[in-house]
Amino acid sequence: MTFILETLLRLAAWLLAAPLLPGIINKVKAWIAGRRGPPVLQLYYDLARLWGKGVVMSTLASPGFIVGPAVAWVALVGAALIMPLGGAGGALSFRGDVLLLVYLLALARFCTAWAALETGSAFEGMGAAREVSYAVLSEVALITAVLSLSVQTGNVTLTDMLALSVGSGAVLLAAGLFAVLLAENCRVPFDDPNTHLELTMIHEAMILDHSGPPLAVILHGASLKLLLFAVLLSQVVLPLGRLSPLAAAGALVGTVLGVTVAIGLVESLTARFAFRRVPLLLTAAFLLCLFALLLARKGGVG
Amino acid sequence: MTAGPPLLLAALCLVSGAAFGRRNPRLWLALTLGAMAAAFAAALLVGVGAADWEWRSSLAPGGEPVHVRLDGLSALFLALLCVVGGAAAVFSRGYWADAGHPGSAPANRMWMSLLLAAMGFVLLASNGLHFLIGWELFTVSAYFLITLEREHRAVRAAGWLYLAASHAGTLCLFAFFAALSVRTGSWDLGPLRERADLAPLFWLALFGFGVKGGMFPLHAWLPSAHANAPSHVSALMSGVAINMGLYGILRFSGWLPVPAGAGWAVIGIGAAGALLGIALAFVQTDLKRLLAYCSVENVGVILIGLGGALLGVTHGDEPWAELALAGALLHVWNHGLSKALLFFGAGSVLHATGKREMTQMGGLWRAMPWTAGLFAFGALAISGLPPLNGFVGEWLVYLGLLNAAASRGSAVWAVIPAVIVLGMAGALALATFVKAGATVFLGAPRTRAAQDARECGPLMAAPMLALAGACAAIGLAPVLFWRPLERAAGSWHPQWVDSGAPAPLAALGAAHVAMAVAGFAAAAFLWRKVRVNGVRRAPTWDCGYATPTARMQYSGGSFSGIAMGWFAGILAPERTRHRPHGPFPVRASWLERVPDTVLERVMAPAGGAVMRVSSATRRLQHGRLQFYIVYLLCGLTVVALLTWIGAGQ
Repeated sequence: MTFILETLLRLAAWLLAAPLLPGIINKVKAWIAGRRGPPVLQLYYDLARLWGKGVVMSTLASPGFIVGPAVAWVALVGAALIMPLGGAGGALSFRGDVLLLVYLLALARFCTAWAALETGSAFEGMGAAREVSYAVLSEVALITAVLSLSVQTGNVTLTDMLALSVGSGAVLLAAGLFAVLLAENCRVPFDDPNTHLELTMIHEAMILDHSGPPLAVILHGASLKLLLFAVLLSQVVLPLGRLSPLAAAGALVGTVLGVTVAIGLVESLTARFAFRRVPLLLTAAFLLCLFALLLARKGGVG
Repeated sequence: MTAGPPLLLAALCLVSGAAFGRRNPRLWLALTLGAMAAAFAAALLVGVGAADWEWRSSLAPGGEPVHVRLDGLSALFLALLCVVGGAAAVFSRGYWADAGHPGSAPANRMWMSLLLAAMGFVLLASNGLHFLIGWELFTVSAYFLITLEREHRAVRAAGWLYLAASHAGTLCLFAFFAALSVRTGSWDLGPLRERADLAPLFWLALFGFGVKGGMFPLHAWLPSAHANAPSHVSALMSGVAINMGLYGILRFSGWLPVPAGAGWAVIGIGAAGALLGIALAFVQTDLKRLLAYCSVENVGVILIGLGGALLGVTHGDEPWAELALAGALLHVWNHGLSKALLFFGAGSVLHATGKREMTQMGGLWRAMPWTAGLFAFGALAISGLPPLNGFVGEWLVYLGLLNAAASRGSAVWAVIPAVIVLGMAGALALATFVKAGATVFLGAPRTRAAQDARECGPLMAAPMLALAGACAAIGLAPVLFWRPLERAAGSWHPQWVDSGAPAPLAALGAAHVAMAVAGFAAAAFLWRKVRVNGVRRAPTWDCGYATPTARMQYSGGSFSGIAMGWFAGILAPERTRHRPHGPFPVRASWLERVPDTVLERVMAPAGGAVMRVSSATRRLQHGRLQFYIVYLLCGLTVVALLTWIGAGQ
C-alpha cells in the first residue's frame, strides 16, 4: 500500500514539476535579452489550452499518429519513475535498471519519429532523420557515461551508481552529459526550439502536424525528458548519498535549477551550430565521457 | 516419457511429407505441422525437464553406429526450429500456393520438408560423419529452396554464391571433424573438455560454422541469398538456418577446450559485425536486403554475448559469464522470432505490390493494416526496445558485460568497447527500422502498385500473429523462459546447472507488464480524448505548400543520408549524378548504390586474381599433340630421376 502511495506521489511530483523548466529557461533568456518574457507558468497554460482543443489530422495519418505520442509519453514517465531521487531511490530498482532507462528513452524516440513520419511530409521526414541519426552519437555518449559510473562504483544499479560522486571524473562526466542533455532535448547549439524556419529544425520539425491533446502530450513529454536529464546530471555530480535526506532533496532541487539556468544562459550566449558541426560536438561529449571512464578505471573505488 | 517417440514421429512425418506432399498440399501442411508439434514437445521435455535424451543404435550406416542426443543446448535450437518452421510452412501455403506457382510449389514442399528434417538431424547428430551428412543435406536443400525462381538471373547468382560460400565452410568442417576423429580415435562426438591438445581446432570450427552463421566478414553470401529467396524461405534461412552455424560454434566451444585468445577474437568479430552489419542495413533501399544485413548485426550481438562468456570462463569462471551466455542464447530466439516475423511482413508486401524497393512503396497501412501493424511490432522487437523480447536478450548481454566492467577484471578492455558498440548498434537499429517501417507503410503511396495493394490472406496473417504473440510473451514474462536458457547454459558449461533465474529478471518482467498496460491505457485514453474533442481531416501541412505530392516525401535514402556520411569510408557508396544545367534543365538524376564492401572490394578482386592465374595456367592446354608428348616425356623423366635418387639413398 505504501509502495503504491509513494509511487503516486513520485509520479505527481514528476508530472507537475516538469513543465516548470522550459518556463525558467525562457525567463532567463528574456532576462538576458532585456525583455520581460512569458510567465514562468506559460507551458502549463499552453498544455491546458491544447488539451481542450480539437485535432487536425493529416489525411495520410494512421492511428499511429495518436498512439505514438501516447506510448512515447508513457516511456518517458516510466524512465522518470526508475530515476532515483536522492536518498529516496527509484520507484523500481533492480540490477541493470539503468539500461531500461536508456532504452525507454530510445522507445520514446522510436514512437516520436514514427508519428512524425505518419504525415508523409518532407519536413517531418527531415526532422525524424536528424533526430534518429544524432541520437546514435548521444546514445553512445550516454552508454559510455553509464559504463564509467558502473566501473567507478562497481555497481549496475542506478541508485548505487548515483549515490556517491564519481570523484575526479565528475567534471568530465558532467560536461559530457550536459552536451548530451542539450542534444537530446533539442536545445541550442544543437537545435533552436524557437526557430521558425522548418528546414533547420530537428524536434520541432517532427511535430509540425500535431495539434490538440497529442501535441500537449508531446510537449509535456519533452519537458519531462528535460527534467529527467537535469536530475541525472545533478546526481552524477552530487554525492547525495552522504547527505541527510532533507539536505539531499534541497541540493538536488538547487542543482536542477542551476542546470536549467545554465541551459538558459547557453541559449542566450551561443548561436545554433551548422548541422555539419553537430556530430563533432557530440563526439566531443562522447570523448569527455570516455576520459571519465578511463579515469574511473585508473582510480580506486570512491 | 522420453523425447524418443515424438522425435521418431516427427521424422516419419517429415519424410512422408517430402514423399507424398508434392501432390497434396493439405496433407503436407498437416504432416509438417504434426512433425513440428511433435519435435517441439520433445524439445520441451528436454529443455524444461532435468535429463538429456540419448540413443545409440547398433545400426551402422556408412560404417558408423547411429548416435543421437538431445541436450539443453540442442533443445533450445530445436524448439526455435519448430516454431519458425511451422510458421513458415503455414505462410508458404498462402504465399507460394499452387495456383500462383504451379511449377515450383510442389518442389517447395518437398525441399522444405527435407530442409527441416536435415536441420533437426544436425541438431541431434552426435557422430561427426553423420553430422556432416546432415549438414550437407541441409545446405543442398536450402540451395534448392533459394533458387525456386531460378528463371531469374539474380536468383541463380545468389544461389550460386550461397552454394560456393557454404562449401568453403563445409570444407573447413570436413577438416575439423576429420582432425577431431584422428585425435580422439572415433567419430563419436561428446564433451572432451579436458583434452587441451584439441583447443586449436576451435579456429577451424569458428570459420566453418561462421560462414553458415553469417558471421562478419564471412557474411558476403547472406544478403543476396536472403533477398532473392522466396520470403518464407528467407524467414526460414534468417530465423533458423543461420542459427545452425551459431549452434555449431556454441556446441563445440562448449564441448572442446578453447584456445586462450578465443574470447577476444569472438567478441571482436561480434562487435565488428554488429556495427557494420547495422550500418549496411541502414543504407539499403531493398527491404529484404535491409532485413538480411540486420541479421548480420544480430549474429554480431550473439557473438558479443558468447565472447563475453568465453572471456569470463577463461578468466576463472566469473559469475557474469553465465548472464552473457544466457543473453546470447535468448537473443538467438529473439532474433529468430522477430526476423521471421519481419520477413513474413516483407513477403506480404512483396505479394501485394510485387516490389522490394522501398522507394516504390509508401502508404501501405491503409490497404494492409494487419501487415503494417505486425511489421511495426516486429520492428519494435528487433530494435531491442522494451517491453518486448529483443530488449530482454540485449539486456542480459549488457548486464553480463557491465558486471564484467564493474568487477574490473582483466576482461574489462574487451568489454568496454563491446558495450559502446552495442549501444551504437542499438541506436542504429532503431533508426533502420523507423526508416523501413515508415518508408513502406506510412505517408502516401509512391507508385501505382503501392496504391492498388491488397491485404494478405489469413494463411499469411496467422503465422505473423503467432510469432508476434511469442515475441510479446518473452518480453512480458521472461522468467518463464529462464529454465530452457539455464539448461542450455548448463550443457555449455557443466558448472552452471540449476543456477536459478537472476533476481532482476523478474523485476524487469514486472516493469514490462506495467509498461505495456500503461501504454495501452494511455493510447486508448488519448484516442478517446481526441475523438471527444473532434477530429478534422486535412492535407498534410507542408509548411504552406498547397499541393504536396507523393514524390515530395522524404525517401529512405535521404533518411539514412546523415549516417551514411559517417560510414562513407567503409561503405564507399557509388554515386552517379547528373546535375541540372542551364536555366531550363531537362533532366537531372542522382543514383546511389552501396555495394557490399566485403564481397565487392575484397572477395571479388581476390576471386578475379584466382581466375587470372587459372586462365594463365590454362594456356598450357592448347590441343597440340606434339607438345603433350613433350609434357609426357618431361614428366616421365622427372619421375625416373626421383626414383633413381630415391633408390640411391
